[in-house]
Amino acid sequence: MESSLKALQDEQPPLQAENFYRKHEKNSKLSEVKKDIEKLYEAVPQLVNVFKIKEKIGEGTFSSVYLATAQLQGGCEEKMALKHLIPTSHPLRIAAELQCLTIAGGHDNVMGVKYCFRKNDHVVIVMPYLEHESFLDILNSLSFEEVREYMFNLFKALRRIHHFGIVHRDVKPSNFLYNRRLKEYALVDFGLAQGTPDTKIELLRVVQSESQQESCSQYKPHLTLGNTVSVSIMASRQIAPQSASKTSHDKWCCSLSQMQIKQGKEGKVESFSPMLPREGSVHPSVQRSVFGERNFNIHSSTYQENTTVKLIKQSKVTDVASRKLATKKKIISTKAVNNGAARKSANNCPAILTCDCYATDRVCSVCLSRRQQVAPRAGTPGFRAPEVLTKCPAQTTAIDMWSAGIIFLSLLSGRYPFYKASDDLTALAQIMTIRGSRETIQAAKTFGKSILCTKEVPAQDLRILCERLRVTNSSYTKATSNVHINPLYEPALASDTDNKVEFSPQSRSTKIEHLKNNCDEGDNDLEITTREKATDLKGWDRVPDEAYDLLDKLLDLNPATRITANDALLHHFFKDIRQ
Amino acid sequence: VQKSKSRLKTPFVKVEDRSCHYRPFYLQFSSFPVLNYSAPKPYSPFDVDKKIASGQKQTQSKQRNKTNSDKDWRGPIQLPPKDKKKKGYCECCMKKYEDLQTHLESEQHRNFAQSTQYQVVDDIIAKFVYDFVDYRDDAQKMKRTKCSM
Repeated sequence: MESSLKALQDEQPPLQAENFYRKHEKNSKLSEVKKDIEKLYEAVPQLVNVFKIKEKIGEGTFSSVYLATAQLQGGCEEKMALKHLIPTSHPLRIAAELQCLTIAGGHDNVMGVKYCFRKNDHVVIVMPYLEHESFLDILNSLSFEEVREYMFNLFKALRRIHHFGIVHRDVKPSNFLYNRRLKEYALVDFGLAQGTPDTKIELLRVVQSESQQESCSQYKPHLTLGNTVSVSIMASRQIAPQSASKTSHDKWCCSLSQMQIKQGKEGKVESFSPMLPREGSVHPSVQRSVFGERNFNIHSSTYQENTTVKLIKQSKVTDVASRKLATKKKIISTKAVNNGAARKSANNCPAILTCDCYATDRVCSVCLSRRQQVAPRAGTPGFRAPEVLTKCPAQTTAIDMWSAGIIFLSLLSGRYPFYKASDDLTALAQIMTIRGSRETIQAAKTFGKSILCTKEVPAQDLRILCERLRVTNSSYTKATSNVHINPLYEPALASDTDNKVEFSPQSRSTKIEHLKNNCDEGDNDLEITTREKATDLKGWDRVPDEAYDLLDKLLDLNPATRITANDALLHHFFKDIRQ
Repeated sequence: VQKSKSRLKTPFVKVEDRSCHYRPFYLQFSSFPVLNYSAPKPYSPFDVDKKIASGQKQTQSKQRNKTNSDKDWRGPIQLPPKDKKKKGYCECCMKKYEDLQTHLESEQHRNFAQSTQYQVVDDIIAKFVYDFVDYRDDAQKMKRTKCSM
């Protein structure tokens, strides 16, 4: 392993190749990172004699991840990932994350845990380190077979966590580590995870969504300020031994909801549940992930992302959404109280008033005065399933399968991030643009949502969509550019990648056909270019229908019928893959 | 109850719970998202701001019922990286804070940090196997002959 890692490093471009901005950015980061490492040693002194912390490899809203080496009893020095959780994390959340790692992790491409250090509020989770690629860097160099293996291994991980009743909530490339050379994979970061109603991770019941309770109580007027304590069995068991802890737990919930009202006034928070899980990053281009592609230690030679994008990504991390630790305790009344004018009417008259705005282009003071529906929405907008975007309270492991579908969509289309939306409804509109507005509206009905969309957009054929988006593959276009050049080609594009030539996307498929035919006919010149290409195409010239069939089933707008991880592994797309 | 009505501006998306018991939420677009096939790879086909494609800027400017601010990722950086991580919410103290470090040093947080609340974490830690070698002892034994990577 060591030698292969070394080889990977040797492939990296020299520093001089980087433009000024990246270099500058990097230098200032380096000194910052040094300080961070010192601070970490200081905060958790037990680390000092055990780890040599080398660098920071990830940074997110709720944690930072460092690469370190440690000497093990067995005699070998090993690389470890140290995840330092933000000290504002509630112990129950920390414990739930640890429990996910200990119970579900360590098998089937799910990251495991080696050890955990704590000093006061500072908790450091030690995990085996997996050197991994940046998704964006390798996206357009993967062979089709690699994509198949990637998806297969992702489903293995998802089957594993779903078996334990874990809804990951933040499945995206940066949380699925991929070592291309070693063909190793690891699903990471249970910081946003929630439990299904029957989850086998006890502590996730504490951090569980209140969706079930919410749906039971949604027709009742909510007046009482949560005084019926219904902390889950697990929580009370864990907490009971300490005197006053139940009270503190109570207090925690109450003031959490108060705090959310405060936020509501400022119009910053959309939902007002004290039980919501914290939110992750708010934009798909932001890597909330802390052990993913925002790392600093892998610089691919194919790195092409422009500096602007890079910088924006970075700054976006500042937009820290409030964290809301879910608990099973009910506080409902306060939730009704939000949003300006709505507040008074809700207080005095909690009954739900009707109006005739439903399914029309109108809104009025009556419907706008109702309380907002509470539903978990932690995660990253571009990866959120339609039921998450529309605030469906009952969310299942199917939301992770949707996210896996979005990853697959990126792999097949060569676009990442695929969806680019700063808010949930823009993301929903983009989904409609791909999957059809009528279809989306229809599916939403099945989970209790009415969607009104003024624009009717047809569903796209997934194969045509992906092939058209993949069209600018430079390796393909380079060799064939002498044959077909898009007359509308923009010279400005050439600076983006050397020699890059764009085809008019409409005629792409016909061009492939044309090339194939020429090849079959034995046209000499073309045969050579085409044959060269055939190796370059890496299987992308013959993507089987099964791929798009599986994609269709993952991007099923109806969560009830969406394919499960278990069934995905049995899908024809994976026939003959070594299990 | 006096009603004040307003009509949404097209194009828009409006989502309502079919129970009609919750506040509807909606978004009025300046232009509805369009698939942009000419955005260069690997950019999103919804990446309207990438002027690279044709130089045209289709900024999705005004959104009345914004659910999230979009200014921070579309525009240039507003905050120096230093400001990062400062604002947030403390789950332990159930408090919003403006500056992380200041909050962590506050009496309330320090009390929590030193409390028994972390027993639930320690219980899990107690089950782990500790098999690290202390680098200090190690260094003495090996007399610094160890090569570091």
